[in-house]
Amino acid sequence: MSEFQFLVDGASYVASNPKTVVMWLIGGLLIWLAIKKDFEPALLLPMGFGAILVNLPLPGVLGTEGSTGIVTWLYNVGIASSEAMPLLLFVGIGAMIDFGPLLSNPRMLLFGGAAQFGIFLTVVLAVLLGFPLKEAMSAGVIGAADGPTSIMVAQKMGSEYFGAITVAAYSYMALVPIIQPMAIRLVTTQKERRIRMPYSPASVSKTTRILFPIIVTIIAGLVAPDSVALVGFLMFGNLIRESGCLDNLSQTAQGPLANLITIFLGITISFQMQAEKFLSVGTLMIMALGLVAFTFDTIGGVLFAKVLNLFLPHDKKINPMVGGAGISAFPMSARVIQKMALKEDNQNHLLMHAVGANVAGQIGSVVAGGIILSLARMWGLMIA
Amino acid sequence: MNLSWMFLTAFTSVMGEVKTEDISHSLELMGKGMLGIFVVMVLIFLVIVILNKMGSGKKKEK
Repeated sequence: MSEFQFLVDGASYVASNPKTVVMWLIGGLLIWLAIKKDFEPALLLPMGFGAILVNLPLPGVLGTEGSTGIVTWLYNVGIASSEAMPLLLFVGIGAMIDFGPLLSNPRMLLFGGAAQFGIFLTVVLAVLLGFPLKEAMSAGVIGAADGPTSIMVAQKMGSEYFGAITVAAYSYMALVPIIQPMAIRLVTTQKERRIRMPYSPASVSKTTRILFPIIVTIIAGLVAPDSVALVGFLMFGNLIRESGCLDNLSQTAQGPLANLITIFLGITISFQMQAEKFLSVGTLMIMALGLVAFTFDTIGGVLFAKVLNLFLPHDKKINPMVGGAGISAFPMSARVIQKMALKEDNQNHLLMHAVGANVAGQIGSVVAGGIILSLARMWGLMIA
Repeated sequence: MNLSWMFLTAFTSVMGEVKTEDISHSLELMGKGMLGIFVVMVLIFLVIVILNKMGSGKKKEK
């Protein structure tokens, strides 16, 4: 009978490692959320399947000491060595973003700054919960509402909760339509939510559209050098879009490039979802902290708008909900604000203002990630 | 009694010991982080205003 032992080796492995079954269930849950609930399916589905893949008996897709499995290789090359995958995805995202609404109404930039407050508040909370500072900083970046930035910061900090942070970053992004309305209602009155904001955009020249990504990259590079890779690749994608002479490349970046990276990013991230790394009280705490970060990002943006309103004339008041769109979850957050505004007053169209704040949030989140990395480097907390 | 322990560890929380240094670093991060973001945003704001002014100036010339 011993020559047939290999047929039951896998089952024995699972019997002696019951945590792997829990990870299969978590993988199944992510796939269910992706398919049934439409929660960021492009990432949660590959991550869910990946969670099952990496928790099958070794060598599987991970490999052993003598050989490198495909998922281990993808992780080493695509994320660990240079964060290539999240950065390449940013080229696609940059090519998708139209900064026009922001360029014609630049005061929306302030909300892209204010709505990063949740990141820093979460770092303080995580420290008070007993997380080491580098883990707290990695967890806070979930509030950037920006998957690639969360991945890059957690990776550079060598966070042991990398998998949990990534799952939280993407799953909460899918929950923006639930989290944001609750947070906004908590800190606004109905009268404030009904404030109308007429939209009369100034025309934006092509020169401005072309110079914008170049100048933003230089400014970010001077103030927060660690944000250059993120800002630079985002703005490179945008420059391709706005140049007007690279339509094919722009379409490729927005479509095939972003899709290809997305297909493999989820599976690659799942490398960090191995049962022994993922199943811990810390993972649950990270998920909870991510929720706090998203909520207080929104509240930070809304309260900042309310403070600005104290100094603005009656006819120039800002609907505080627009401040909540300053998080980076683009374009979901802008859509949520538009939906909420129409629910309060069916003639109140805030979409373009919210889009302006939302794309500002995209810049704000990568700058926040860069500042965190700069300070981590200064404090000797970075591994690379 | 080891007094240095008191200075290093503020208290013990759910996930472990909370270091005084980490608390001060996290508050420093909050201050410097928000300030840094607003500095970048204000600089970008000024750049956009200047670029828009230059753009509208050119249009008037035409």
